[in-house]
Amino acid sequence: MNRSWAFHFRILAVLAVLGIAAFPVYWMAVTSMTSSEELFAGSPRLLPDPAQIGTYARALVSTPLLTWLGNSLIIALGTTALSLLLAILPAYALSRMSFRGKLLLALGLFVTQMLPEAMLVVPLYDIFSRFALLDSLTGLILANTAFAVPVVTWILKGAIDGIPTEIEEAARIDGCSRVGIVLTIVLPLIAPTLAAVTVIAFFQGWNEYVFAQTFISDESLKVASVGLASFVGELSTPMDTVTAVGLTYTLPAVVFYLLVQRYIVAGMTSGGVKG
Amino acid sequence: MALRFQNIKKKFGDLTVIRDISLDVGDDDFLVLLGPSGCGKSTLLRMIAGLEEVTSGEIHLNGRQVEHLPPSDRDMAFVFQSYALYPHMTVRRNITFPLIMREHKWWFHIPLVGYLAKRRIEARPDIRELVAITAQTLGLTQVLDKHPRTLSGGQRQRVALGRAMVRQPAAFLMDEPLSNLDAKLRTAMRAEIGRLHHRLGGTFVYVTHDQVEAMTMGTRIALLRGGDIQQFGTPREIYERPANTYVARFIGTPPMNLIEAQFQGNSLRIGDRLLRLPETAPRGDDRKVWLGIRPDAISLTAADAADALPARVTLVEHAGAESLLAFDPGNLRVGHDEDGQSEIMASQSGYSDIAAGDRVGLMLDIAQASYFDIDSGLRID
Ligand SMILES: Nc1ncnc2c1ncn2[C@@H]1O[C@H](COP(=O)(O)OP(=O)(O)O)[C@@H](O)[C@H]1O
Ligand SMILES: [Mg+2]
Repeated sequence: MNRSWAFHFRILAVLAVLGIAAFPVYWMAVTSMTSSEELFAGSPRLLPDPAQIGTYARALVSTPLLTWLGNSLIIALGTTALSLLLAILPAYALSRMSFRGKLLLALGLFVTQMLPEAMLVVPLYDIFSRFALLDSLTGLILANTAFAVPVVTWILKGAIDGIPTEIEEAARIDGCSRVGIVLTIVLPLIAPTLAAVTVIAFFQGWNEYVFAQTFISDESLKVASVGLASFVGELSTPMDTVTAVGLTYTLPAVVFYLLVQRYIVAGMTSGGVKG
Repeated sequence: MALRFQNIKKKFGDLTVIRDISLDVGDDDFLVLLGPSGCGKSTLLRMIAGLEEVTSGEIHLNGRQVEHLPPSDRDMAFVFQSYALYPHMTVRRNITFPLIMREHKWWFHIPLVGYLAKRRIEARPDIRELVAITAQTLGLTQVLDKHPRTLSGGQRQRVALGRAMVRQPAAFLMDEPLSNLDAKLRTAMRAEIGRLHHRLGGTFVYVTHDQVEAMTMGTRIALLRGGDIQQFGTPREIYERPANTYVARFIGTPPMNLIEAQFQGNSLRIGDRLLRLPETAPRGDDRKVWLGIRPDAISLTAADAADALPARVTLVEHAGAESLLAFDPGNLRVGHDEDGQSEIMASQSGYSDIAAGDRVGLMLDIAQASYFDIDSGLRID
């Protein structure tokens, strides 16, 4: 009796939190599907007006939305690929090997996390301008990767720590090289964590604003986060268009997350060794 | 001369784990490394496999010096205590893995290409047949396409054995492979591994802390303690002629009784009794020794019989086929190991009708006895 009360309370609490998290998105959805006249009327709509679906078509035509999304996608995927590529071997080394300065290196990874982007943006601007990385998506990918790699490395290290060393030793005896062990034993076993860090790195690239705003001035290289923000203060752009663009900006990210999260399942390593 | 260690030493930093070990085992020997937990058995085995580097010394396998070679070049298979199966691979792939590795090319690392290449090796008739035969031997045919997590402990153990078998290695190394199984399965697998050794031949090195496993499986036993070999010999030698009191107390359930005694001419004084020494027994003028006598070499008689040691029964355990009896040694001094047990133990076949508290006489069959120096604990012959 007591327990079921606690259970119901927990469900309610979860629903409340979900509601708070989801409401802005819902409000965007409603706003994007409300006619302009009604938007400025006294009482707001609570349900979307299906007749207003055309807002989305108009948003596609009247704004460079597709270009922005394309650029964001390039940056997010680039950041993801580069971060994983750069993080896997260090994560393995931090987990499995002992060498001088290991702790220092491990902690040093966090330094980049402690400094706010806003503080780094000026020195980075200077550096990027020397290397002709301003106004280029490559530059943004590099900057985002620098922020994603430490986190990804640490998370991967934690996952690799969880693989019993005997499994790797068995592979060594069976004739597997170090690289072979990483590729055929370690990576498959940490697949769920790889999926998780893929999401993290992807969103680092997809959502990033400060660098994208500062380093890019070419309109054709603008990313969605910056593009969306540029509506703020522009009186001429109707609210329904802005929210339509905003929702479209969220959509690919959600789809990506849903695609990847299927792989975030626990229990991959079970069964190999007897605990 | 199949496997030879020469002055093997191992240190972890300042901690010496293997002091100075030299041994020789023959081609078809089943060597058991036996000893209490922490004595360095696994470390020694891992050095043979190449998973741990030797600090100094040499290891030779079939005439080839191997201690500097990486594990994959030593032609040895290793069975881990924890099985160490590849959780993400099917049983078939687990067993085939060492064979695939043999033909591995760098381009197997290319995602799809490697996947197909490995599949092709796995599907090749010679390999399929080898896997099928191995699986048949181990009773794994039904589970070849399952993943390890769906198997029972015993089946996982067999997969680990199968992975070792398909390679047809020069040496099989096993680190307490049965310790995670329940008692019944352990006995069955013990026999299984024994048969495997008979059929495949080759050198087996088997680590265990279980003396029953050691005695039943080994053709040679090396008993280790604190990184030193206490005795190296056949199970029979170790049982009948222990090299020192440690070995005497380690082997046998219950272990050998150690009773303080003194040589006197052709007799042996125990307490206030004088027993006649057999021809074969050592002599020593008034030398104090430990008399080592196995529980089954003690028989019971009346408390006041001549030549019998009077004793009071403190405990009787009936184990079906035999009964174990413990006696208060009275004013006799008895030797013991770390467990501090200081009773004289005797075993009798059948169901004993003696009860705790009874006073009996102990007849020692000293024709089967061992003698050890009272200070050093070394065997006297
Ligand atoms: N990698 C290591 N680093 C430091 N000490 C170790 C290491 N491996 C084992 N030891 C120590 O060596 C001793 C022997 O260990 P081990 O060979 O595993 O014993 P056993 O297998 O006989 O129980 C133990 O005292 C253990 O703590
Ligand atoms: Mg061990």
